[in-house]
Amino acid sequence: MLKVLDFFNYARSKSPWIVHFCSGCCSLEMLAAMGPRYDWERYGYIMTPTPRQADIIFITGLVSKKILPALLRTYEQMPEPRYVVAIGACAYDGGPYNDSPSVIKNMTEILPADVFVAGCPPKPEAIVAGLEELKEKIKRGEPSASSQGGLWKQMKF
Amino acid sequence: MSLWEMLFYILVFPGLLFLLAWTFFVFYFARKTLAYIHKRVGPHYNGPAGSLQTVWDVFKLLTKESITPKSADPYLFNIIPIITPLVAALPVILIPWTPLINNGHAILDTEYGVLGLVVLIGVEPFLLFLTGFGSHNKYSFLGGMRILAQMISMEAPFFLAALSPALLFGTMNLYEIMYSNTWLTTLILLPGAIIFIITMLGILEQPPFNIPDAEQEIVYGFYTEYAGTNYTLLKFAEFTEILVVSAAAVTLFFGGYRGVFFDSFWWLFLKIALLAVVMVAIRASNPRLRLDQMLKFTWSWLTPLAILNLVWITFAKLYIVGV
Amino acid sequence: MEKIKEILNRFDMEYVEDYKPTWVKAKLKNKNDLLDVVKALKEVGVASCSTVSPTDFPEENRMEINYFLEDIENKKNVWLKVDIDRDLEKCEIDSITPVLESADYHELESYSTFGVKFKGHPNLRYFLISADYYGKFPFRKDFDWEEHEKQLIENVNTISDEFFEEYEENEETMGHEDSRTVLHWGPTHPASGPIRLKVYVNGENIEKVEPDIGYVWRALEKLSERKDFIGTIVAVERICFMDNTNPMICYAQAVEEIAGKEITPFAKYMRVILGELGRTVSHLISMGGFFGTMGLQTFLMWCLDVREYFLDVLEDYSGARIATACIEPGGVRYPLNDYKVWFEEINKAIEKWESVKPDIEDIFMKNPLMVTRAKDTGVFTKEDVVDNYLAGPIARASNVKVDVRLDEPYAGYADLEMDYVTCESGDARDRLFIIYKEINQSIDLIKQAMKKIEEGIEAGEMDPKKDHMVKMPRRMPEGEAVSRVEWARGEMLMHLVTMPKSTNPYRLKIKAPSVNHTRILEKLIPGHTLSDIPLLYGSMHICQGDLDR
Repeated sequence: MLKVLDFFNYARSKSPWIVHFCSGCCSLEMLAAMGPRYDWERYGYIMTPTPRQADIIFITGLVSKKILPALLRTYEQMPEPRYVVAIGACAYDGGPYNDSPSVIKNMTEILPADVFVAGCPPKPEAIVAGLEELKEKIKRGEPSASSQGGLWKQMKF
Repeated sequence: MSLWEMLFYILVFPGLLFLLAWTFFVFYFARKTLAYIHKRVGPHYNGPAGSLQTVWDVFKLLTKESITPKSADPYLFNIIPIITPLVAALPVILIPWTPLINNGHAILDTEYGVLGLVVLIGVEPFLLFLTGFGSHNKYSFLGGMRILAQMISMEAPFFLAALSPALLFGTMNLYEIMYSNTWLTTLILLPGAIIFIITMLGILEQPPFNIPDAEQEIVYGFYTEYAGTNYTLLKFAEFTEILVVSAAAVTLFFGGYRGVFFDSFWWLFLKIALLAVVMVAIRASNPRLRLDQMLKFTWSWLTPLAILNLVWITFAKLYIVGV
Repeated sequence: MEKIKEILNRFDMEYVEDYKPTWVKAKLKNKNDLLDVVKALKEVGVASCSTVSPTDFPEENRMEINYFLEDIENKKNVWLKVDIDRDLEKCEIDSITPVLESADYHELESYSTFGVKFKGHPNLRYFLISADYYGKFPFRKDFDWEEHEKQLIENVNTISDEFFEEYEENEETMGHEDSRTVLHWGPTHPASGPIRLKVYVNGENIEKVEPDIGYVWRALEKLSERKDFIGTIVAVERICFMDNTNPMICYAQAVEEIAGKEITPFAKYMRVILGELGRTVSHLISMGGFFGTMGLQTFLMWCLDVREYFLDVLEDYSGARIATACIEPGGVRYPLNDYKVWFEEINKAIEKWESVKPDIEDIFMKNPLMVTRAKDTGVFTKEDVVDNYLAGPIARASNVKVDVRLDEPYAGYADLEMDYVTCESGDARDRLFIIYKEINQSIDLIKQAMKKIEEGIEAGEMDPKKDHMVKMPRRMPEGEAVSRVEWARGEMLMHLVTMPKSTNPYRLKIKAPSVNHTRILEKLIPGHTLSDIPLLYGSMHICQGDLDR
């Protein structure tokens, strides 16, 4: 039984699909990571048009207050098991917008991320490397951080 | 037909296993070819040259949570994805696949092969409409409506084009059509074949007619709400339909599994693969048409041309081939 | 110019003076005259409003409102100021939207952020800011953010409630009887980006479109007040990462004007090179994205391939691919230690572009299906451009000769050879062609600037290792400046206000072209079908980053 589960975990780690959601500037580097030079499809990542078929959601950089409900809703629409990747400094603590009134500073308290990718914005290589790290986590069959808790459960969206 | 034979047909060839293998292959093949035209690499690290990528994708989708939205009609939403691949796979028994099975005939060797084929292919879109209808999502519903509009206008020229070999050879039996085909008749049928391939793109929702699941316009059309297993089944049905329709095109117009030097399944496969390359190349170089432009194109160009083609076939039958 | 001054002098003005070659600066004494002034100005051709920028002076209990009015055809601009009372009840002024349509969204923005009530505005509502700021006017100097930030969850719930209320209302008003419904195109939509278009459809036909913006509102204008003059670059360059260099040029020029410094010729030409690189990088995405909206990814991928080479150039110079921060007040940030190596890199990128150009022209620019879709779709006439103040490539596609690089030359553009690039018809296809033409123009400009620098160095007039910066004072004098650049998407205008001996901007207003380009969607899209939304939206080359700031 354990072997079978391992096999499915392995399969899941090999085929991470990412929902198309951009809330900030880092999505530009995601575009570059999709592009010919970095081409993350080599590793099996593709973008899906709807959250229903996705495994991973990106917090692409800053999350303003207004887009947060949409982000959480998109996350909620994804089927389990689902993972969160936080890209860029803004997703961690607001980054360069730390002083701004309309940007969420504690995004990962609201929606805990499994992997952080540092940079402002991170290079495409870094994004792919971060995703590869997430693959290891999926392969081990660990539950995602966001399913463990986070303020998002208290919010209306 | 013995029980074992029947089980072999259903489960292995040309049934389940073959269709699964085809799905794995064509998804990978399309991604890789598309990536090549994009100046990318495509799937590369999972399996040799990325060939296992789609296998992992399918296994992953099967283990994902299968969501039924609260507002969707639960029966329609969950039953249609089971019926669709079955209906999509049915025409498989009408097509002669290989000289090794049934003396080279189709499994169901009937006088009404062409008719059965086009009818079974034509039913599929209505099931897909029901998926959009049952999802109770605005975008899904719009996708469903678009698929209906597209089908009704695409199927007229599709049927007329499929009729042309039957008219030329005076039979609807696919085996006989295939064996009556010569280099000369292939040339005579060429206009019909071109119309068939264009409408095929429309029926399979391939670019430039991928209007029902236009990502940039209506999210993902009727697929929008589907997740996990249901999505896999629907995609499986889509790829099965691609196989069936391209095999029908090859059998009707390009001599099926017959080839130079020897007859074999691999000739059929090669011809289907060439068709797939053409489809991917069109996909890679052409933007999508608008719904009303597509309707105008089919009704004011394609359908009249298909009728003219029938006139040409009749003429050729009387004066070129000889009755 | 004299005519404009004459008109302005007819009214009760505190002063009327020349400002830069193309501007007249004037201050109105009585706010009730405003509408008459604007009407009179419109008659002589000053028919577009660039932006409306209030500045808050709590000590003097006044709100100073700056109107930037432009005559696009004749390049004569008016900077009109007027004081109003700061108290929320009395803080009102006549709306100029009925006269100059293009002021619409800018007035809404001023109302939402500063609480200036515009009397007579056709639809005065909260705009841009999220629901938790309704009625609080966050850009006023006395607004307490820290206090507001404490109830984060409640604030987010307020925003959600607004959505739900709106949804319920739509369900009730539209009903389920006929084929009318409201579609939310975005922000989770695959082609939208962080913007929401409320699309009222009847089947596939669109009846009405209402853009809902503010999904990436970072309050950059407020943010820059908290940073020092160098730190503001970080805020300014993040307006939009697609073209990241030109906003910094705009900001740096404003600071230099207040400090009264002139930058070196070397820095001027470096700004040309960096600015045009930024424009090329941005246009490559816009061009690919245009086809992406019609479901064709190939061209986008090809453009991304070329773009990487241009990003390499920026990375070589600044160390970052898209967040370069390479231009600061006083010049450009880094010296060129070995200019030949860097120029070699630029030439490599240009060669890459030249090598794909024939393919692009044959396969994509002449693509029959693209022509079927885009030709004669979404046409803008010259009047549309002037009335709604469409800027940059969108205006030039409709054959309006407008380009800040030529109208009000900055950096090194005055010494370079260039001309307006225009297209004839102003439909969606021309808005693609203009982008393609502009890339070629940019590359030509880069080549010219490189040549100028090379000549300068050989003649011993420039020293790439030292000339990149002039010393800027740490504390700025009191002042006010307006600076304009031609950004990838059109005219960018910054209005900078400083206090005596200040270390940080007192007020920085950023005008970005996408605001008007989004507004025009309300008129552009209705009458088309659902399939045309992504195409028309993509043809406007909108970036949400500069739409919301």
